[in-house]
Amino acid sequence: MNYVKKLSLLLVVALVVALFSFSVYAQEYGGTFVFGRGGDSVGLDPIQVTDGESFKVTQQVYDTIVMFKPGTTEVIPGLAKDWKVSEDGKTWTFHLREGVEFHDGNPVNAEAIKWNFERWGYEDHPYHIGGEFTYYAYMFQDFPGVIKEVNAVDEYTVEFVLENPQGPFLNNLAMVSFGIASPAAVKKWGEDYFKHPVGSGPFKFVEWKQGDRVVLEANEDYWDGRPYLDKVIFRSIPDNGARYMELRSGSIDMMDYINPEDVQSVKENEDLDLILRPSFNVGYFAMHQDFEPFDNVLVRKAFAHAINKEALIGAFYAGLAEPAKNPLPPSIWSYNDEIEDYPYDLEKAKELLAEAGYPDGFEFDFYYMPVPRPYFPQPKMIAQAVQYYLSEIGVTANLLSYDWGTYLDKYYDDQFQTYILGWTGDNGDPDNFLYVLLDQTQNNCGYESEELHEILIEAQKSVDKEERIALYKEAQEIIHEDVPWVPIAHSTPPLVKKTMVKNYIPNPTSTEKLHRVWLND
Amino acid sequence: MTNEEIKRRPSNPWYEAGRRLLKNRIGLLGIVFIGILLFIAIFAPLIAPYDPLAQNIMGRYKAPSSEHLLGTDEMGRDILSRIIYGSRISLQVGLFSISIALITGVFLGLLAGYYGGFWDMLIMRIMDIMLAFPAILLAIAIVAILGPQLRNAMLAIGIINIPRFARVVRSSAISIKESEYILAAKMMGASDVRIIFFHLLPNAMAPLIVQTTLSIATAILEAAALSFLGLGAQPPTPEWGAMLTDARSSLQQAPWVATFPGLAIIFGVLGFNLLGDGLRDALDPKMKNV
Repeated sequence: MNYVKKLSLLLVVALVVALFSFSVYAQEYGGTFVFGRGGDSVGLDPIQVTDGESFKVTQQVYDTIVMFKPGTTEVIPGLAKDWKVSEDGKTWTFHLREGVEFHDGNPVNAEAIKWNFERWGYEDHPYHIGGEFTYYAYMFQDFPGVIKEVNAVDEYTVEFVLENPQGPFLNNLAMVSFGIASPAAVKKWGEDYFKHPVGSGPFKFVEWKQGDRVVLEANEDYWDGRPYLDKVIFRSIPDNGARYMELRSGSIDMMDYINPEDVQSVKENEDLDLILRPSFNVGYFAMHQDFEPFDNVLVRKAFAHAINKEALIGAFYAGLAEPAKNPLPPSIWSYNDEIEDYPYDLEKAKELLAEAGYPDGFEFDFYYMPVPRPYFPQPKMIAQAVQYYLSEIGVTANLLSYDWGTYLDKYYDDQFQTYILGWTGDNGDPDNFLYVLLDQTQNNCGYESEELHEILIEAQKSVDKEERIALYKEAQEIIHEDVPWVPIAHSTPPLVKKTMVKNYIPNPTSTEKLHRVWLND
Repeated sequence: MTNEEIKRRPSNPWYEAGRRLLKNRIGLLGIVFIGILLFIAIFAPLIAPYDPLAQNIMGRYKAPSSEHLLGTDEMGRDILSRIIYGSRISLQVGLFSISIALITGVFLGLLAGYYGGFWDMLIMRIMDIMLAFPAILLAIAIVAILGPQLRNAMLAIGIINIPRFARVVRSSAISIKESEYILAAKMMGASDVRIIFFHLLPNAMAPLIVQTTLSIATAILEAAALSFLGLGAQPPTPEWGAMLTDARSSLQQAPWVATFPGLAIIFGVLGFNLLGDGLRDALDPKMKNV
């Protein structure tokens, strides 16, 4: 009996080993991976940029102290192999991996990390140059903000002392913006550093032909193992249709932002796979309360009843989205599923308008963005559909647009009466949606709620997750009642790859490291 | 013979030109095209089977059928109805923008041609500068400053067409102003205004009419181009050029969405071009015997 047991155990072990070795064996080294995207990077110093196209590249070149587990927003070790936080939540200690080097051969140690944070956070730092350091101020509230000091305890131990506890602190450190750069390279290039990025990530920077392509090559000594790919090229092909043609003809291996109309043909094509990025965004219609009559909550509620979200998703997202009732996407913790959305009901909407004193409707400007975004793949059509829904309750929206840069400028300038826009979360924390988009000190829709502000600040300072969940659920109820926006959809952005591209795991935060991707030629 | 009788004589040049135009097949075809276009534009609400703005996002990209003769577009709107209403916009653009160009251009041309000297120099150099820019580029610049709206697009098209009219009028004014009957009018004490409007302008009429007709054709095309670039009519206005631009992304999957507005533009532009050609032949005194 004993003998049989032993034998079967041995068999199981052998099987597991065989399976494991087979899967290892199947992965192939080598090859060049070409990714086609809608636009060029703005810059390659991640702390200076906010656009997804820059982050796609810097994600490969840099490491962060901690990072997100592939396909999730769960925090896992990065440059730090482990960490601990003090009782009061104010002191974070990180133990770094030993022997990790930047691409220029300098060591990644506590001093280097301290130097990076001081460069970002201290406005009088000699290398606080080359941009606005936007995301630092965003996430740590000003310069130096929440981070009081960064200490290099020893070669491989770094300690952060915070002004007050910050709930999302660890998730913030995992954001691609806080990639650790080689101090020597920053000193060498100064203002021009954004064109010569040096980090410790899985791929080294080779060249950047602006408007055309960024070329990267494998970092042989990467701490998480050499990447399977030899080279990665990011090509800019602005037109969605043209990019799809290139993919079909084989000159690129993968692309994002496909026209929803083409999704069906991808599904029918044996050589192509449609993969879906986990939904982690929100597309919304905002009503600016500095303008009459949007200061009246009844008008805003009427609009919420007038828009048929299900129909919009069926028509313009190829079904790859779900209707939004909260600013938070359902995949994030603290999502309040008990909230009941305002149903599509034209009669109710008309009643509310009449009650607000506008039985005969009114006229206003409605802005839509000129470029497809993950949350609004076809903004012009969606805007026209919304305009039509609103015309059915007797209000007239004049559709207007600007080029993308101007559009964002005017949005930040509070010049739009109503507009559509959206957001993709970048650190997996609800704070990154609710505080950034709707707090009265941050939002661009004239929404003021002291009650909400207090909740959001309290949630920021708390490190107790249960408490934070309760606070954010309450925040969503307030937002639901005040209707600063009509949330429209949480999309599941489609990516298209050739079937020969293996193990591409899209992350909700919209960028991912490519060192585990391999090509099956 | 009294004056009345002289006017009624069949040898009146306008009457002659009209007769020749109707005999000219090309010109006649142009008149027919424009006639159809006018008819459609005027009676659009009666002809169009659907509301051009009514959407049905459940029925997008429907192929032509008995229900929707030309199919439906990306918002599920009836393309035929949109084209029918679009004729109003195209005609409006043509007439409005060319009126701006005509009035301003004629005024400047007469001023430059009649007075000559400094005014001629100043006005015509400005016109030269405007002509030095590619027309559509100048229009884009003007719209970019004023903001993308149909009204501004019409204004821009009007402005870029001014030099053509100014040139035509100026050259005929110069050729006539030294003639003896103008001298006679001056001797009789006619004012400059009288001479300009009663003697110079009527003599420039023939080339002006041709120029106007042809310019309406280009204006329609330019408006479509501006709308195609997103600088003219804004959604959901059923403007032909704007319809084309929205159809671009579905060219492979629903070609009818782009085809029919394209044909409508061709039809409208061709009508005015043919009429312009016919008028040029009819009004040219050298072609009298054709």
